[in-house]
Amino acid sequence: MTSAVSVRGLWKRFGQQVAVAGIDLDLPAGKFIGLVGPNGAGKTTTLSMITGLLRPDSGTVSVVGHDVWQDPVDVKARIGVLPEGLRLFERLSGRELLGYTGRLRGLPGPEVDKRASQLLDVLDLAGAQHKLVVDYSTGMRKKIGLAAALLHNPEVLFLDEPFEGVDPVSAQTIRGVLERYTASGATVVFSSHVMELVESLCDWVAVMAAGRIRAHGTLAEVRGEAASLQEAFLELVGANGRAAGSDLDWLGGGAR
Amino acid sequence: MTNPTPTIVRLKLSLLRNGLRQSAGRRAAYVASAVVVLLFAVLQLLGLILLRGDAHADSVVVILVAVLALGWAVMPLFFPGGDETLDPTRLVMLPLRPRPLVRALLAASLVGIGPLFTLCLVAGSVVAVADGGVAYVVGVIAVVLALLVCVALARAVAAANIRLLTSRKGRDLAVLSGLVIAVGAQVVNFGAQRLGSSGLAQLDPAADVLRWVPPASAVGAVRSVSEGSYGVAVLQLALSVGALLGLIAVWSRHLTRLMTSPDGSTLQAVSEAAVRERTPTGLARLLPAGRTGTVMERSLRYVWRDPKTKAAWVTSLAIGLIVPLFNALQGTGSIYFACFAAGMLGIQMYNQFGQDTSAFWMVALTISSPRDAYVELRGRALALLLITLPYAALVTVLTTALLGDWPKLPEVLGLSFALLGAMLATGAWTSARFPYSIPQEGYKNVAPGQAGLAWISIFGGMIAAALLCAPVIAVTIWLNVSEGGDAWTWLLLPAGAGYGAAITLLGLRLAAPRTAARLPEILMAVSKG
Repeated sequence: MTSAVSVRGLWKRFGQQVAVAGIDLDLPAGKFIGLVGPNGAGKTTTLSMITGLLRPDSGTVSVVGHDVWQDPVDVKARIGVLPEGLRLFERLSGRELLGYTGRLRGLPGPEVDKRASQLLDVLDLAGAQHKLVVDYSTGMRKKIGLAAALLHNPEVLFLDEPFEGVDPVSAQTIRGVLERYTASGATVVFSSHVMELVESLCDWVAVMAAGRIRAHGTLAEVRGEAASLQEAFLELVGANGRAAGSDLDWLGGGAR
Repeated sequence: MTNPTPTIVRLKLSLLRNGLRQSAGRRAAYVASAVVVLLFAVLQLLGLILLRGDAHADSVVVILVAVLALGWAVMPLFFPGGDETLDPTRLVMLPLRPRPLVRALLAASLVGIGPLFTLCLVAGSVVAVADGGVAYVVGVIAVVLALLVCVALARAVAAANIRLLTSRKGRDLAVLSGLVIAVGAQVVNFGAQRLGSSGLAQLDPAADVLRWVPPASAVGAVRSVSEGSYGVAVLQLALSVGALLGLIAVWSRHLTRLMTSPDGSTLQAVSEAAVRERTPTGLARLLPAGRTGTVMERSLRYVWRDPKTKAAWVTSLAIGLIVPLFNALQGTGSIYFACFAAGMLGIQMYNQFGQDTSAFWMVALTISSPRDAYVELRGRALALLLITLPYAALVTVLTTALLGDWPKLPEVLGLSFALLGAMLATGAWTSARFPYSIPQEGYKNVAPGQAGLAWISIFGGMIAAALLCAPVIAVTIWLNVSEGGDAWTWLLLPAGAGYGAAITLLGLRLAAPRTAARLPEILMAVSKG
């Protein structure tokens, strides 16, 4: 099996805090890959280092066989990114944003406009294409970000929390587009802390906690004996059996 | 139903009092500003009383009241948060009928420092021009009328624009308010100096028109009565009464509509966008293809659409024009002040990536070689030149025309272009080396903790730019002092332009590899806002 992404000895510290503590990981090509973990596990930091937006303290990352930091020309053209917590150029309209991104990527103008129209249609944004992105809702922002990430038909797509704060209708639209995209052989890597979502979408999972990879493999391998990914996950990050109510026995109906 | 007026007036008083119940620092600022405003009002009052008997007193007071009314009209647009009772949507849940509500809100509007200030000014104006018992009677009516027209004006403007004020566009507008004050202060300062030098008689033509415009017409009526023209006075008072009634009618209609329709901050945005199809400006077709044109187009759009960028640009354009021109008008200016425009506008090249905010990641992902970074920076510099080059030339020509010193035009133009080039070069380099975040909300232009970085970037850059210009400045001085050098000063135009262009290219060449190598660091630095 060829790997879409290969990570070796990746470290990142912010001051005293270790965000990513030595990750080695090979993500298989052509799969729908979920990177799961609790808040603060280092998912965003890891994805930022893989996509070249954050410089690692040490370690190497290669995407489709090219080193991200030595060979950026080959890598940047092949990846699409939808980061979390970073702005878009919000004072452009949705259509202008796609036109701008596509042309920066070096695609010919008419081709950009054609692809933008189709993406806006499929993502249900055609009605809002002339509205400024600053006036978009969260779901619309994620969708326009996804369109911008897909515009140059990347081989690997990185999405950081693509479903966070998104309404069910938009989520379904995003899902549909992503499923169609992976069906053609492309790779999607996305991070999430919603296990049900990861379980229903992904065929390959990596579990992160406290800056390390706790488990990785196909969904079945990671789930193992557990009834659901949620349970397996809680087991892995050591949060299982922490009964929620033992100290709050006064809480609930009845006696005060 | 009980009368809501006392309740709402009490609400206003509570809001005023609560202004004092903040942290010690804010309370001190609040008290200090109130004291300053009141002192200013008292001084104005005294000044106006002293003006009594001056031949042009009536012109002064009419214009003063008109300016005051203008202030009341624009105040709610630029300081929407200033008065919470101005926002009627806060009262929307209460079972109130429009008519009592209008009365109550009007009464509440009369409470506060602003109305007190206005009262002082209008009362002083009446004292300055009133002559005789009838005039004082009319004066009292005029004071009440002018005050009511002012507050009704503010209320009507606020109610008519409440959608704007509570929306994103309103917040964008508020960012520009500091700028309006800065430029306004320059204009007032200049106007005052003109008056100081050539006397109050200059005001008369403007006053002749304004004495018919409410609420200045109410004060105009006092003068008319003093002169015995009772018919004119009645007409002027009637105009103000009419304006008051009209404003209250407009206000109450908007108020009724606001109280009975749903809060439409999102609703309206959707329908508005659906109606307004943006037509392509044609700008794109004129720009070069590829990354250069794409970057230029985005930069130019941001000059207009991004409130922070727009505020910075308008400040630079205004100050760059005002300083050389006003100095020339006062006869004290040197023609070399015209270079100020190029210097002010060149500042816009500084912290280019900070202006992108964290959206810089979209740029960073498409830069994979120093060549990409070079084209990116060059595109931004070209977009800037599209505005600055003609503007700097225009300011230089205007300054020259005012001073009538045409032989000096070529050398000043040459100096301007050289300075602009040096600013672009240092701007590109500091953008790559010392980027910092520009917070999108509020008035601050530097993120906390990055002030030192911003200082290095801007002041270090400006000093470097001045040093880079030294050869051109030296040649200018040499040609001006050496005998027969005057005949050759025209050479400074091509030399300065060439030098500016060369140094810009050099600056971009040096900045590009730094940008390409530091993309993650730049992104981190500009993502703090």
